[in-house]
Amino acid sequence: MTQERFIDLVRVEQEPLRRFLLALCNGNAALADDIAQDALIRAYVASGSFMGLSKFRTWLFRIAYNCYIDHLRKARPEEAPVEAAIAVPADDTSDASFRYQQLYQALEKLPEKEKAAIALFYFEDLSIKEIAGILNMPQGTVKYKLSMGRAHLKQYIQL
Amino acid sequence: MKEIDDFLRENKPVVKDDPAFLMETRRRMKDVDGIKEEVDRQRSRGRVTLIATLVTGLVLGVLVTALAFLYPVDTQSVGDGLWQALRAFLDTWKQYLVYPVAAIAVTLSLVLTLGGKKAAQL
Repeated sequence: MTQERFIDLVRVEQEPLRRFLLALCNGNAALADDIAQDALIRAYVASGSFMGLSKFRTWLFRIAYNCYIDHLRKARPEEAPVEAAIAVPADDTSDASFRYQQLYQALEKLPEKEKAAIALFYFEDLSIKEIAGILNMPQGTVKYKLSMGRAHLKQYIQL
Repeated sequence: MKEIDDFLRENKPVVKDDPAFLMETRRRMKDVDGIKEEVDRQRSRGRVTLIATLVTGLVLGVLVTALAFLYPVDTQSVGDGLWQALRAFLDTWKQYLVYPVAAIAVTLSLVLTLGGKKAAQL
């Protein structure tokens, strides 16, 4: 795959990718973009092995999720999430801002797989099959994680 | 659960449009391409060196074999000649052989003594 072709694909996918990682990083935009950059470079290096058997998006998201997991393994336990860096759109009302804070704080409490399943299903509108491909788990497990995630979020978010 | 579904769908995280993001990606990709090119260059250089070595070895081997067949040598007499030359050399220079042997012995004894003292200090 040429650099130009890769950039064309990335131009389309960069926003969903960054949004997915932003949700995984509990609203820490700088960290999410760092991981996104790492994922894109890994994908570019491995682009020769992309056979087109799955969608480019599924393939890229799988790499990004693995990068995120690697980051979690490397991150020291004392490295606390940066609350001040939570990405809230600047032009939003205080009500919307409060909802985003609530969302990210609730996501932070979720187990990683549940958080990833919720982010892919609700924020990226991916199918259960695609999510199973990205998270490398059976479709039944994805459904279970989604159901558990919803139940947990219901406890954490006051509607 | 409907409320949670609606809440999540209505509050998707918002990503700011950032042109610097793609520029940074391009810059990193260029770096990766540079490394890839360098690795390829070194790999092809190594391959050329290997082939050159193989060809040189083959040519030299063929030449030596051809010479051996073209000009056969009595190896017994050559071997005897070499041995006699060595003996003559040692006969001539045997009094000077003592010096390098003594120098090596002194150096070795100094090194071993100092090494033993350092090891004892540790």
